[in-house]
Amino acid sequence: MKGTQLGEFEELVLLVVGVLHPEAYGLNIREEIISQTKRKVAIGAVHSSLSRLQEKGFLKSDLAEATHERGGRRKRLFSITANGKKAMEKNHELRNGLFNQIPEMALKGLNLSGL
Amino acid sequence: MASKKLYNPPKLADGLLRVLCKDSLLEEIKGDLFEHYQVERAEKTMRKANIAYWFHTLNFIRPFAIKKLGQHSSIIIMYRSYFKFAIRNMWRQKMNTTFNLIGLILAFTVCGFIYLHLQQELSYDKFHERSEDIHRVAWMSENPQTRTPHPLAQAMVNDLPEVEAAVSISPIYGAGLTKQSVTLTLEKENISFAEPDGYFVDSTFFDVFSFKFLEGNPATALKSPFGVILSKSTAERYFGDKPAIGNRLSFDVNTDMLEVVAVIEDAPLTSHFHYNFMMSYVTLKSLSFNDPWMTWEDFGHFNYVKLTPGTDVETLEAKIPEWVEGYLDWSEEGFERLRSGELRFDLQPIEDIHLHSNIRWELETNSSFSYFIIYGVSGLFILLISIINFVNLSTARSAERLKEVGVKKTLGAYKSQLLSQFVFESLFSSFLALGLAILAIYGLESSFNQLVQGHIAASDIWQSKSILFLVGISIVTAVLAAAYPAFYLNSLNTGQILKGTGQKKLGGASIRNSLLAVQLVAAIVMVSGSLIISNQISFLKNKDLGFRQDNLVMIDMNNYEDKSELVKAAFSQISGVEAVSAVSNIPGGQFNQHPIYAEQDPSTRVDAAEAFMDDDAADVLGLVLLQGRLLDQTMSSDSAGTSFLINETAMHELNLKDPIDKVLFWEDNENLVKGKIVGVVKDFHYKSLHVPIRPIIMMAKQQRLNYILAQVDAQNLTSLIPQLETAYKEIHPQDSFVLRFLDQEIAKLYKEESRTLLLTSLLSGISIFLAIAGLIGIVSISIRQRVKEIGIRKILGASIQQILLLINMRYVIITSIAMIVAIPISYLSMSKWLENFTYQQSINPLIFIITAIAAVTLIFMTISILSIKTVRSNPANALRNE
Repeated sequence: MKGTQLGEFEELVLLVVGVLHPEAYGLNIREEIISQTKRKVAIGAVHSSLSRLQEKGFLKSDLAEATHERGGRRKRLFSITANGKKAMEKNHELRNGLFNQIPEMALKGLNLSGL
Repeated sequence: MASKKLYNPPKLADGLLRVLCKDSLLEEIKGDLFEHYQVERAEKTMRKANIAYWFHTLNFIRPFAIKKLGQHSSIIIMYRSYFKFAIRNMWRQKMNTTFNLIGLILAFTVCGFIYLHLQQELSYDKFHERSEDIHRVAWMSENPQTRTPHPLAQAMVNDLPEVEAAVSISPIYGAGLTKQSVTLTLEKENISFAEPDGYFVDSTFFDVFSFKFLEGNPATALKSPFGVILSKSTAERYFGDKPAIGNRLSFDVNTDMLEVVAVIEDAPLTSHFHYNFMMSYVTLKSLSFNDPWMTWEDFGHFNYVKLTPGTDVETLEAKIPEWVEGYLDWSEEGFERLRSGELRFDLQPIEDIHLHSNIRWELETNSSFSYFIIYGVSGLFILLISIINFVNLSTARSAERLKEVGVKKTLGAYKSQLLSQFVFESLFSSFLALGLAILAIYGLESSFNQLVQGHIAASDIWQSKSILFLVGISIVTAVLAAAYPAFYLNSLNTGQILKGTGQKKLGGASIRNSLLAVQLVAAIVMVSGSLIISNQISFLKNKDLGFRQDNLVMIDMNNYEDKSELVKAAFSQISGVEAVSAVSNIPGGQFNQHPIYAEQDPSTRVDAAEAFMDDDAADVLGLVLLQGRLLDQTMSSDSAGTSFLINETAMHELNLKDPIDKVLFWEDNENLVKGKIVGVVKDFHYKSLHVPIRPIIMMAKQQRLNYILAQVDAQNLTSLIPQLETAYKEIHPQDSFVLRFLDQEIAKLYKEESRTLLLTSLLSGISIFLAIAGLIGIVSISIRQRVKEIGIRKILGASIQQILLLINMRYVIITSIAMIVAIPISYLSMSKWLENFTYQQSINPLIFIITAIAAVTLIFMTISILSIKTVRSNPANALRNE
């Protein structure tokens, strides 16, 4: 298995898959990312990320029924695996922990200089 | 299912995705893209949606999505094995491979050269910006000419809205006028050259033509009187790499008359005219030059117009007659002919001049379309012959690969895989041949150019069009060669192949034989065609021109001051010079012409070429007097130029039964010269044999004597020439001594013919070689397959002769069929070509008989030599092994 680190964009995709559960697939993941972060994302970028996450074992996928608006093609629905959940939690904890360790002073100073 | 209307995304993008994308991912990716496209189409224009679709599709070219082509990809492994098979096969049959490759290389090299040559011919004058809008105004009469009146250009711009810009140019001497060059001198350095290709041009020259400025200001260069524009190479002759602008040059005897105002690039090779220097007409006009030459009367200038884009040329041409009447001071009869279209101003597209225009007073000798076709067809024939060779040989060889195919099929190879293997192998050979052919083109570049006096650059093959052409013919060759064996071998039953029953003999013999017939047709057409060309050209070369050309040297008299008498006197002192004369024009050169008419019949006006000459010229040239007397300068009427010597054609066209002492008028522009005919000479070809003999009048007046013609003793030329030069330099110390041989000058008129002869002989030689090589390939295989048959025949008592005859019979029949097809093709196309000549040698049927006998003999010999070993061998050896 490849490294189990989560990249920034990968984490975003992983989170959005969770948000959209159980209907997460390439195109609506992209739309969700665009609407939530106002970033421009190509469809290819999302697919690339999804395939990497699957290789790392954070996501699993199943093919759904074919639909008319996709020209009779099936879509691949993604859901988070246990490993995926763990990795997300690890990232979340790490970040929260680090954030909580920042002394009050540092943020105050920021506020002051901001004034 | 909801039946909402769906939009179809761009097909090409889909196809691309299918090719590149991993199969496992294709469905979901396409689905997403499709769905996205529906949304986009609903919101945006189709264009924008398509662009977005393309963007997202191309964005999938990422490592995760595209098919793997690595070390372990099955495609790579497969092609590696095809490659090995190809190399091993070629190596195993070295003889065959060499034959095959040499044939292909030869054909590709020849085609490459011909393609480059034709490409160059087609590219003439296309370097001008908007060259498709530039036209030359030509004068179409019963003897069409390039030259029209000087004011025409400006009048057209002023009156006709379709004409955006126009320029009138005229060579300073040159075309139509008799002198060839002007002496320009840089006094302070004492550098002097006799410069040909000088032009008078309108100040609008650069509005029409796009030659680049290197020094000087394009806006003013042609506005000032006595300014001269030099071409780069001319400037370098006088000034080296120092700036030329501001320096003064002497024009003939006029010291420091000209100031260099600009230097422009040399005209590219692919221009229909080239210049060394040019001066503005402003210079002439500032001399208050009231010559009729500058009026509507004189059709003596070259006029070019640039039309607004999209102009319909025919409509414009139709407007001209009515419009031009306002300017021409003509009789009603002349206007009538203009309106009826008998006389016309035609607009010749400048791009067509080089290949299609061959009328009087071309600025340079143009090429001709018929040669263009001949070269193109020869190239195609050679290509055809060698493609057929390649196809036939690969087909024949495939019989030896039956087992390989059988094993592969047993092991589970698909038909498509076998097909791709064959295609790969022949692509490999043809691209190998192409690579070597390109090397050959580079290697042979200079010798080819020398041979045909061309200027082809081998590096031009890398231009997209040329390389596409070469790659295209390689692919076509390869696919054709692979198609038959692949389909044929694929169609066989695997079990049968491996058992080896019933498949010993390769099918498709009829196809191969008919291809052989096609080759023979091509070869026979080429051979008989080049024989006809060579006949016609030797006919032209050996035709009696009606004057002497051997051992005649001509020396240019470039000086303004006429010292021809002195030069003549000096030359005649030299031993070895048998006779000397001074003439204004030399046969084969350009002639000026004006109308003449007899007093008794003024309505019969004919255009006649004119020449001035001294008493000795008729002798030196060996002209034959039919009636009256030759010119004699001791008689006052002769030296005054009022005695005319005319040729037979002039006599006939003037309708004169008894011409001697008849009064004749010669309209030398504004001067009407009245004189008497004193003699008639036998017609002689004072112009090339491309045109019929036209009337000429000759006068003895001491003017425009531009050449000394001397009859010399050919034995002592090496010592004679320096003596002539010394004598000349004593009289004209400033001028350069230019000596040419008349016969060589005349041979130059047939340069294109000689080149065609050389090329077609070479090409038909190659075609014979290739056709025979193909024949050897086929016959040797066919003999190998018939070894047993021959053995049995021998046992049953057939003699060697009988067997040879049997083997030969089939090919003799094929040859005869090819002959029956080829001869009419050759006859018809060559008669068409001959129509280009005024004087033609009719096609001799003997040519076809010779070609036929030669072809049959050659084929008979080839086959007999190939088969004699098999036929002579002991039949027991052939029949023993089974």
